[in-house]
Amino acid sequence: MKISLRHTMRFSLGSPAHAAEHLLLTPLSTPQQKVERWSIEMPGIAEAAAFRDAFGNRAHLVTQTRPEGELVVTISGAVETFDKAGVLGRLEYDPMPALFRRATAETKADPALIEGLSPVGGRIALLHELMDRVHQAIGAPAQMQVQGAEGQAQDSELEPQDFAHAFIGSARALRIPARYVTGYVIDEETASFHAWVEAWDEGLGWIGFDAALNLCPAETHVRLAAGLDATSTMPIRAVPVWGEMPAETVELLAE
Amino acid sequence: MPGPSPFDEMTNADGSVREPYLILEQWLKEQPPQALGLMAADAEGIFRRLGITFAVYGSNEGTEKLIPFDIIPRIISAIEWRRLSKGIEQRVRALNAFLHDIYHRQEILKAGRVPEKLILNNSAFCPEMMGLEPARGIYSHIIGVDIVRVGPDDFYVLEDNLRTPSGVSYMLEDREAMLQLAPDLFQRYKVAPVETYPENLRRTMESVAPAGAGSSPTLAVLTPGIYNSAYFEHSFLADQMGAELCEGQDLFVENGKVYARTTMGPRRIDVIYRRIDDDFLDPLTFRPDSMLGVPGLFDAYRAGNVTLVNAPGTGIADDKAVYTYVPEIIEFYLGEKALLKNVPTYNCTDAEQRAYVLEHIAELVVKEVHGSGGYGMLVGPASTAEMHDIFRAKILARPDNYIVQPTLALSTCPTFVDAGIAPRHVDLRPYVLVGDQIRITPGGLTRVALTEGSLVVNSSQGGGTKDTWVLEE
Amino acid sequence: MLGRTAQNLFWLSRYVERAENMARLLEVGYRMSLTSRREGGASEHLMSMLQAAEVDEEFAKKHKLADVTSVSQFMLFDETNPSSVRSCLLAARTNARTVRTALTTEMWESLNSAWLEFAAIDPRETTGSRLVELLQWVKTVSHRYRGALLSTFLRDDGYAFSQIGNFVERADNTARILDMKYYVLLPRTDLIGGDVDIQQWTLILRAASAHRSYRHVYHDRYKAWNIADYLILRPEMPRSLIFSVGWINRTLDMLEEIYGGKAAGHAAAADVTSMLEGNSMDRIFAYGLHEFLTEFIARNNKVTEALAESYNFYG
Repeated sequence: MKISLRHTMRFSLGSPAHAAEHLLLTPLSTPQQKVERWSIEMPGIAEAAAFRDAFGNRAHLVTQTRPEGELVVTISGAVETFDKAGVLGRLEYDPMPALFRRATAETKADPALIEGLSPVGGRIALLHELMDRVHQAIGAPAQMQVQGAEGQAQDSELEPQDFAHAFIGSARALRIPARYVTGYVIDEETASFHAWVEAWDEGLGWIGFDAALNLCPAETHVRLAAGLDATSTMPIRAVPVWGEMPAETVELLAE
Repeated sequence: MPGPSPFDEMTNADGSVREPYLILEQWLKEQPPQALGLMAADAEGIFRRLGITFAVYGSNEGTEKLIPFDIIPRIISAIEWRRLSKGIEQRVRALNAFLHDIYHRQEILKAGRVPEKLILNNSAFCPEMMGLEPARGIYSHIIGVDIVRVGPDDFYVLEDNLRTPSGVSYMLEDREAMLQLAPDLFQRYKVAPVETYPENLRRTMESVAPAGAGSSPTLAVLTPGIYNSAYFEHSFLADQMGAELCEGQDLFVENGKVYARTTMGPRRIDVIYRRIDDDFLDPLTFRPDSMLGVPGLFDAYRAGNVTLVNAPGTGIADDKAVYTYVPEIIEFYLGEKALLKNVPTYNCTDAEQRAYVLEHIAELVVKEVHGSGGYGMLVGPASTAEMHDIFRAKILARPDNYIVQPTLALSTCPTFVDAGIAPRHVDLRPYVLVGDQIRITPGGLTRVALTEGSLVVNSSQGGGTKDTWVLEE
Repeated sequence: MLGRTAQNLFWLSRYVERAENMARLLEVGYRMSLTSRREGGASEHLMSMLQAAEVDEEFAKKHKLADVTSVSQFMLFDETNPSSVRSCLLAARTNARTVRTALTTEMWESLNSAWLEFAAIDPRETTGSRLVELLQWVKTVSHRYRGALLSTFLRDDGYAFSQIGNFVERADNTARILDMKYYVLLPRTDLIGGDVDIQQWTLILRAASAHRSYRHVYHDRYKAWNIADYLILRPEMPRSLIFSVGWINRTLDMLEEIYGGKAAGHAAAADVTSMLEGNSMDRIFAYGLHEFLTEFIARNNKVTEALAESYNFYG
């Protein structure tokens, strides 16, 4: 599937002497996707340092001297995606998979989620079972909330990252390397920023699991970056730290 | 102290004087009765005027103390030194190879020689360092190895300090003071120089400058500021090697490069000897609340535009729990047996070993895995039954947080105290520089426990220092 | 040189100079309080001295009565008084410690030992002749530091920033001393000053260490016009405004040579200079002495701001 999108973020900067941002906003071409064009527009991007981070991602360090007011970041690009049944395989700059068995503060295991799960029945089946459980366990209270007392539909507080962290924590507790993945997901006419998981299998390599949607990412997912957890994979980290969440829009563009 | 009297650096059990100390003994005999007392007083004046002080944690902020200096040098023969330095060199080679491996292919973990969990789940392991290729493949450029001696040929490594070992300024100033106080002794001995350290530090740093830094890279020492206990050392080293002494606020990152704010505008910095802990180095990558660091510094490092000395994440190789595996690490990377011994260490997470520890705690030394400076440590034979109980409870509550070792009979060295010259326990920290070559400064810092019978030599716990002489052949 | 280092050197010299000036002011206040025959006169003298140092409000918050004991304790030892000798010496030493490697050993040792000696003094034992002795010692500390600087410091940008700090502080202080008693210097029909005037004039001159040298320059009895002229426009008087500003200008020229090019500090200093060069006491009196001094202090402050901006003092 050919996907063309534009992602715009607006941040209030204040007026520091220097501002610095660490970007994880550049997708790699993988067996699941071919990046046809990609660009980031923001003040200072022309002089930015581009480098590979510890998790194999393409990262940028962007700085501004005496910036004023608002920082606008616009990412636009075109990617062709392929359905590989979720299998990413191995990427050239991936660190050792064992690294992704490291538990972090955000990826705590929930014993209930892994109760009775055993790798004996084959890892792929186990991971699917885990995705199912996470989807049910995390998603269930949200549905109850939606049918709440006021009787009107309300936005769930749940973010894709809650599903991803629950999955990762459980997988790591089972000694299976699992990593946090950011990207975009396309749902018919709309696109949104999203997060899912990749888990390791010695035979197939990295396999994607999207517990929020309860499916393995296929043509609908554009993969940006991977890391230990949401914090280590934030699309933009900044100093001074932004007080508010950015105002952002993701648009699908016609080819 | 249990057991026979410990090995003395100067005097054998039969009362005869060991060869390296013969001239010193003669010299001591020649001194008039008051001379040593006067020398000690002079020494204090020299140190105080020069402003060599350290801050003591837990006391009032800004309280400064002098580390007591003992005027009787500790002397090491050329043969002893050759053995020691071979062992040290072997260790720093292996530990740098280990760091490169665990931040790349992790072969030693795959081979099962070191438990994967111990490394990858360790808080001293720095995942952000994965895949980074430091200049010359070196992670720890500045190392201080803590060594104790229990017999004529019996040396143990207590700790490999691969993060930011301190104390080298005392090594240099102790020598300076000794040259002023007892010039005649230096005429009778051939003492290997330690004054070369700052120049060698400079060369080491230059040799790991990033590509494109040119033939004369700009060096900086990054300090947390004057309230840090080692500020004197930071300014001293910067001065001695001609580097800029910077605080975080003096540096900034632009276009992926690091600059100092100077009176003439920004100046590019190529190599930074950072004396700020990993967590505080860069709020963009590590602790976001750090006011000490430089935003973007780590990314500039990853982009290959600056070299950090030592690299972040070196703490994994001197972690007290990893320490037990150093002989294994040496064998794995160098195919050699370790030349210097490790102190046998009990692992409290093992039920059998824990039982032994709890029963024999009165004979053992208990250390916190992430502790340093002698804080949070128990020396069994020197503690009360009440303290033993407290530490038993601590070990039971968090067995993984402690390592336990037998109490070593640290060697003693004659020391000038109120009552005259008396033996006091000492250790030794030689300083190693790793760059285009491995340079070990002949000598190091001898720390001495000034209280009779005490085995704790840390300056924060009332320890002093001695000038350390390595004799030339 | 790091901007912060320049900043530290600049303030280091200012603090040393300020410690000296505070000691001198206190000495004058003490002397006046001893010789005052009027009821409440001693307290007035001490208060006007506190005003000159711009710490009178701070003092009033803590003390009801301005007597020799309370004022000298406040000016010498009070940690909350930013201009006390203690605060100045500690700030000087802290600045010195921060830029330890930019100083010569002699400069560092003079400040370090001064602080160690001062910290060992028991405030309760500083009365009467001991007080005078201590004030003398403070001045000696400043002289010792300046002597060490002049005889050992490299004549580079670090020296320049030190010197500018020293003379910006001195000009500020002299202007404040004059402003404290400006009304006794105003021309009056009464041609010969009375005893009270003479006493006030002596105070001003002593506060600037100028009571003896005045005679060498003017060969005349104390006259208000001369005193103002001496401390404002006499280029040979090393604490006069014109001397201090002249020194700042020469040092800025040195910086210009080192760094190649004028910076904002030059413009600010030129602004101060224009108030003095080619001016006369007649015109200053016509303009209003108090107004003139207020304007001078404000413009002099701008030099510090401009330097900070030009040479990255605050990054």
